[in-house]
Amino acid sequence: MIQLHQVSKVYDTNTPALVDISLKIDKGGFVFITGPSGAGKTTLLKLIFSAERPSKGEILVNGINIARIKPPLIPYFRRKIGVVFQDFMLIKRKTVYENVAFALDILGMKRKFVKRKVWQVLKWVGLLQKKDSLPPCLSGGEQQRVAIARAIINNPVLLLADEPTGNLDSALSIEIMKLFRAINARGTTVVIATHNKSMAEKFSENIIYLDRGHLKEFSHAQ
Amino acid sequence: MLNKAIYSFKTALNNIKSNVPLNFITATTIAITLIIFVSFLLVVLNLSIFQNRWVDKLQVIAYLKDNATPESIDKSTKEIALLEDVDSVKFVSKDDAMNILKASLKGQDGILEGLTENPLPSSLEIKLKKQFLTLEGVELFVKKIEKNKIIGDIEYGQKWLERFITFFEILKITGFTLGGFLFLFTLFIVSNTIKLMVFNRRDEIEIMKLVGATTRFIKMPFFLEGVIQGFAGALFALFFLFISVNFVFDRFIKSLHFFLGSGNWVFLDASLTFYILLLGSVLGLAGSYISLTSLDELKN
Repeated sequence: MIQLHQVSKVYDTNTPALVDISLKIDKGGFVFITGPSGAGKTTLLKLIFSAERPSKGEILVNGINIARIKPPLIPYFRRKIGVVFQDFMLIKRKTVYENVAFALDILGMKRKFVKRKVWQVLKWVGLLQKKDSLPPCLSGGEQQRVAIARAIINNPVLLLADEPTGNLDSALSIEIMKLFRAINARGTTVVIATHNKSMAEKFSENIIYLDRGHLKEFSHAQ
Repeated sequence: MLNKAIYSFKTALNNIKSNVPLNFITATTIAITLIIFVSFLLVVLNLSIFQNRWVDKLQVIAYLKDNATPESIDKSTKEIALLEDVDSVKFVSKDDAMNILKASLKGQDGILEGLTENPLPSSLEIKLKKQFLTLEGVELFVKKIEKNKIIGDIEYGQKWLERFITFFEILKITGFTLGGFLFLFTLFIVSNTIKLMVFNRRDEIEIMKLVGATTRFIKMPFFLEGVIQGFAGALFALFFLFISVNFVFDRFIKSLHFFLGSGNWVFLDASLTFYILLLGSVLGLAGSYISLTSLDELKN
């Protein structure tokens, strides 16, 4: 599903964010990227969903070399990937329903189809009764479930999550991790970046450990 | 495709609803620009109709010298009538001229008492064919007949016509120059409004990119917003001018009928109305385009 070959990323400040990273994540995998702040976890995710370009190396995601992808093709590539963030990234003036439907609206799907899909996915994440609420009226856990619903509504082959439980207490974090597990059980490859190593060890045996841009450990994954 | 278009249109309307004052100011700027431009257009349009109406009635009066004999008058009349530009020639004798003057001074003809002899010259009233009724056509014709020995002065309102045409040209140039500057100013205002709208929606645009929206899809509502602003501004400008022309302008112009002749003043016809609405929309679209192409947020 994901292959990185000697990937490096250097930002304008000349500080290397990632140095010579080579790794492979299989289809259907449930993988954590962990490490301290500034380790390069977010940069690695950004490279995978093409929010950044590598300074060096090749990145294959779902058979596409995104190190060389043409900018106009990036949106089409991203439609096969779901992304979840620590700060949820929901549109505050749109309802829960509209936030989730948004991912299908941009594809020009018919209203009837959008409605059916949104209902299904909101029911699955347990938020159907909150479909008309605005994000600020929801708890952190609920907002993150809305973000997850939006990320999976297109049945992505890959789900990326950047510190998805960073703003949540431990009980809610476990709830969200269980949701990611359930998504993975449906066949979606899930990659989660977190600084919480114990949480990573609790939920998966496939852990990528980064430290100051270097790959220190990649346990159990092929 | 249709679903995307509906989505873009709804988003554009929501954008406008979410910041009514800013959009109102932009639409008003477009309206003011168009009001000024269309006012010039209306004046030019009506003056051109007036000019055509006046030129249609234009005739050349060739005053005959006192020593012209009936035979020479008859001969010259026939020669002039045979010229290709001439539609008709009418001889007006000294007595006829006096009778016409008396008729025009009805009630005040006392001022003619005391005249021992008729001072008015006889003349030829010459009407030209329609295709020669232009300033150049008339001048060319005048050159042909001025060498005739029995003809003295020739009158066709040339000075008045030249002044009118000069005024007309200055008006046109002023209108278009002012219009051009106003259009540039409007583009600046529209493009800044759209920029502000984009900045207000930076987070939303970021999310749209994340879920796979193309830049074209993201830009579309902003383009439509510009078009809606432009169309609304043009509609308001036309409505305002229509009311003004009917209730204010028309009354003022009626008092000038003595100088300008009869006939109603015209407003824009259907096709010009359509073009003004189109112009407003294009102005809004161009403003959006300028701002959207310069924003980093909306580059691929």
